[in-house]
Amino acid sequence: MERLINIDRRIIFVFIFFGTLVPLLYPTPFPIEPSKEVRSTYEEFERVAKLNDPAVLLSYSYGASTEPEIQPMVVAILRHCFANDIKVVGICLWPEASGLAQPAMEAIAAEYGKTYGEDYAFMGYKPGLQAVIINMGQNFHDAFPKDTRGTPVGEIALTSNINSLTDFDFIFDFASGDSIEYWWIPYGKREVPFAGGCTAVMAPDLYPFLQSGQLKGLLGGLVGAAEYEALIDHPESATAGMSAQSITHLIIIAFILFGNLAYFATRRGA
Amino acid sequence: MFFVTRTLPTLLAFGFGSVAVAIYYIPHASAQTIESELSLWLRIVYAFAYVLGLYSLLNLHADRIKRRIPGWGYSLVAAISFGVMFLFVAYNDGNGPFAPQSETGGYQWIFTYVHVACSSTIFSVLAFFIASAAYRTFRARSVDAAILLLAAIILMIGRVPIGRAIAEFLPVLSSWLMDVPNLAAKRGILLGVSLGAIATSLRIIFGIERSYLGGGGDE
Repeated sequence: MERLINIDRRIIFVFIFFGTLVPLLYPTPFPIEPSKEVRSTYEEFERVAKLNDPAVLLSYSYGASTEPEIQPMVVAILRHCFANDIKVVGICLWPEASGLAQPAMEAIAAEYGKTYGEDYAFMGYKPGLQAVIINMGQNFHDAFPKDTRGTPVGEIALTSNINSLTDFDFIFDFASGDSIEYWWIPYGKREVPFAGGCTAVMAPDLYPFLQSGQLKGLLGGLVGAAEYEALIDHPESATAGMSAQSITHLIIIAFILFGNLAYFATRRGA
Repeated sequence: MFFVTRTLPTLLAFGFGSVAVAIYYIPHASAQTIESELSLWLRIVYAFAYVLGLYSLLNLHADRIKRRIPGWGYSLVAAISFGVMFLFVAYNDGNGPFAPQSETGGYQWIFTYVHVACSSTIFSVLAFFIASAAYRTFRARSVDAAILLLAAIILMIGRVPIGRAIAEFLPVLSSWLMDVPNLAAKRGILLGVSLGAIATSLRIIFGIERSYLGGGGDE
């Protein structure tokens, strides 16, 4: 029994490896039922789509390490925006996000035949974390004088009339750090509805803000992205990852139960 | 000298700290102008922090390489990687360092196919260690630990699509766990952390906490 408790960790690694690989190669489609947090995010974008000349701010605050979890959310939300003619302004509060978000915006915009400067614009990265948010709340043009192409924001049709955060109909932050909890919620403008997407491990921390209404919705991890893909009826990489995630969770649970059985058997024998 | 190293920074902390706290609650236009100006200064400080961070990083690795400290090869890789990325950024796909950064070229290629791939891989390796750690440490040694274990299992299975396929109530139960016990605990923690942050900030503003000045603790 002692040997079972102190099982070689490489055996667990092998199970996890195949538990991930096999479902990725031969996915089993499980029905995906969106949670209320994801559904409320979707409904917020739907509400914005019904407004006259709607514009949203997408804030990219994630990096390369969390790209597998966050990028599917970025793609799904961009699809939802462009399919509903919502204009999108993108900014980055993390330096790495620029190289991840910009190609996604360009690719999805091209897919929906959107024009840069009229339907979407990308401002890139500015250092300053919450200070950038305060600046945008006062004067958007001061915070981001030029876009990544070097065009002054006043000369871009989409951003020329955006003076501060309150000119956006909705703000959404893609986070893999403190940006939702410590930057946007305390320093963003409360009159503008706000929601976020984050990694799975961060999601439990943000539930108090959901209940208080400071967050209109939340996409937590790859599951959140898969649920959003289901809502826009465009299954992609997040949906494809659900089989692997489901099987891996089952394997981990099986190991936990097995470990406990071995533990109690050892105690009884002692 | 004491004035420059201790008194002046303490006075600056008091002045800027109290002004920053006050203007957060004052909606008057002049207060907002000060807030905007201060946030601009803060952004400049952040930008300089990057320069300091870069200097510190390169200095650390240069020292390791010079003194052949065990593992210096990794430092060499870090230094070379920085140099290569810097050259590609400066080259900017033929546009030079002062033009807007090109969306194509060597920098974007290395970022996408080396940096993103490596970072994602390292983060993914966590799944293996979490599985191993869960097997070794997640034991129902007490009633509290058993409740935690049960909640973790319900959440792990209820949050993924296979949970609904196993039993309809699992996603409902996991949702309740997140909405009620998790929310209550997180709100308590958040309030505690916030009160602690306020207390520490007040100690800094009023010059009680001076460890950030270096060379000594509280007074």
